[in-house]
Amino acid sequence: MIEEVILFGAIQGGLYALLALGFTLIYGIAGVVNLAHGSFYMLGAYMFFVFQKSGLLGPVTIEASILAIVLAVIFVAFVGSVIYRLIIHPVLGDEVAVMVVTICLALIFQQLILVIFGTSFPPIGWPADSFLANTYVKILGVNLVYSRIVAFAGSLALFGTMLILIAKTKIGKAMRAVSQDREVAMLMGVNTTRLYMLTMGISALLAAAASILIVTSTGTGGGAWLWLHPLALSFSIVILGGLGSIKGSLLGGFIIGYAEQTVAFAVPEGGAIVGVVPLAVMVIVLLLRPKGLFGKRVEMEE
Amino acid sequence: MVLSYFRRAYSSFAAHVFDIPPRFMVLLFLVLLSIVPLTGLGTYYLNIIVSANVLAIFAVSWDLLVGRTGQISLGHALFFGIGGYTSAFLFKFYGLPIWLTIPAAIATGGLISLLLGFPALRVKGPYLALITMAFPLIIQNLFDWPPLTAIFGGRYGIRPLPAFFPFLPVTQQIIAHYYLTLFLLLMSSVIIYKIANSKTGIVFVSILDDETASKACGINITKYKLLAFTISGLFGSLAGSLQAHLLKVANPPMFSLTWSFAPIIVTFLGGIGTIYGPIVGAYIYYILDRYVLTIFIPNLFELFGYTITGELEFTKLLIFALIVLILVIKWPRGVAKYTTDKLEDLEEARDLDERGPRIWKRYPKKDT
Repeated sequence: MIEEVILFGAIQGGLYALLALGFTLIYGIAGVVNLAHGSFYMLGAYMFFVFQKSGLLGPVTIEASILAIVLAVIFVAFVGSVIYRLIIHPVLGDEVAVMVVTICLALIFQQLILVIFGTSFPPIGWPADSFLANTYVKILGVNLVYSRIVAFAGSLALFGTMLILIAKTKIGKAMRAVSQDREVAMLMGVNTTRLYMLTMGISALLAAAASILIVTSTGTGGGAWLWLHPLALSFSIVILGGLGSIKGSLLGGFIIGYAEQTVAFAVPEGGAIVGVVPLAVMVIVLLLRPKGLFGKRVEMEE
Repeated sequence: MVLSYFRRAYSSFAAHVFDIPPRFMVLLFLVLLSIVPLTGLGTYYLNIIVSANVLAIFAVSWDLLVGRTGQISLGHALFFGIGGYTSAFLFKFYGLPIWLTIPAAIATGGLISLLLGFPALRVKGPYLALITMAFPLIIQNLFDWPPLTAIFGGRYGIRPLPAFFPFLPVTQQIIAHYYLTLFLLLMSSVIIYKIANSKTGIVFVSILDDETASKACGINITKYKLLAFTISGLFGSLAGSLQAHLLKVANPPMFSLTWSFAPIIVTFLGGIGTIYGPIVGAYIYYILDRYVLTIFIPNLFELFGYTITGELEFTKLLIFALIVLILVIKWPRGVAKYTTDKLEDLEEARDLDERGPRIWKRYPKKDT
């Protein structure tokens, strides 16, 4: 049992950290509390499903699925930046209005999925006959399906890429500058609107990638309410770690991942209340440390 | 040339007609609403207004907390659900009558919101918004836990609850509900309006404007924030308790995000921080949702030979969310606020009109 908690906790933690990274980036840089983050998650899973099963990419093989993932992720990133420019940008600066607008967006996406797909739960995953879906490997005496290992590796790789992007490239430098002082960064010639659009795109991309990795590895289907749990997860992780802190979202993701697995295995009938765990952990931590673990107004690693 | 003459004639006319004191407007609105049941409107339409009244009480309480005090709460469903579940619990296990369960629910809601105020004193801004959003979600999830299902009935909730007026025939019950909710809406909105415009209300607004500055003025911020939370919780749980008794069930969806978001959307429709805005918003919401998009538009399509009864079920909320989205971006002050501002502008214009057209002509247009 302990081995299971260790392994599953690590896998979930990496994925949750990836999910929360997008939420924390857009808050740290643009100051937007994006309650539609869960909708990008849902959109990612559905676009993967559409590209994979539509027949545009030929028969459903692993190669076609990987191509579908890339297409879906890019599509969601595009949607994210367009939505930022059209909808969030006009109300930027008014905290409550941003929240209301993103709530409306979340509802719109939920209803769009209901109108297009109905109330069914389409199965989203790797092709059933591939080695990813039905081959197991034994680690520490626990049977792990390959797709879980792919998900773990993918989440760590993406997280690492993002860290390098922020620490080493010119875009990352602009992001750090804007998060430290918006006016001065504008004076130095950073086009903030374009930067915010890019950040929103990256944030949506990370949500979509996390969504595809989580959905394909755990075998949960779709459904129009797919956005709710990830939204609760991402904001509790981000608040736990401190809004705007990348370090915090990584650590928070692993804390929540382990806490969930511990409750699922240790508490009687714990499976029913796994959804409570992230929120409860967040509330407890916030009562002890009102700004989260690494909370300042904004904080980006140098 | 001619057009501008007509515009001037119209605005001069409108300024005289719309120049009615607000108190009289409220009275007129009330008289209109109180004669509605006498016109023999169907029970379906009366129920729309009953639901709108309950939502209006709920949204007004949200507006006092967020619009006037600036403590952003995205989880007002907590008070709604607590109100509903307290009265249901007291009825089921202690058999208390309805006129005792509702005050008890209000008291519990006030107490819980006082307790919730304490963490709210420590966290601010987006942290507060998201932590308040978490509380009702936690409770909603806990109902699925088997040890608690035995007490609270799990997903099905506690049912059936007693009706308000069991001795009346069904058609008259709805009319009685109508007057009851209208009376309670009037009471609670007047109380909240009075609070918001009293000395305490001014302190609330000072906390919204600048917390540090009001602290520097010697205001006990802790006390006033707790007060705002408590008042808001009292009226929020009143609305929840009413809803539970009207629908005769208290179930987990009362804690859902839908009920957290409804007052926010409604308040933004009407105009945030105005107290009367949410009431207008609640009426618009229910009339759009249950009449225009459910009956009016399908009938309109039927005239041209299309039947769209089934397909509109999911499109309804989609259209509604789109409307709110466009309103918030293009018309951020809300419908009711916009109208009253317009009326005030007209009054100003009339004053200037009397003083002389030359001044009025140069009177700068206010940008909206």
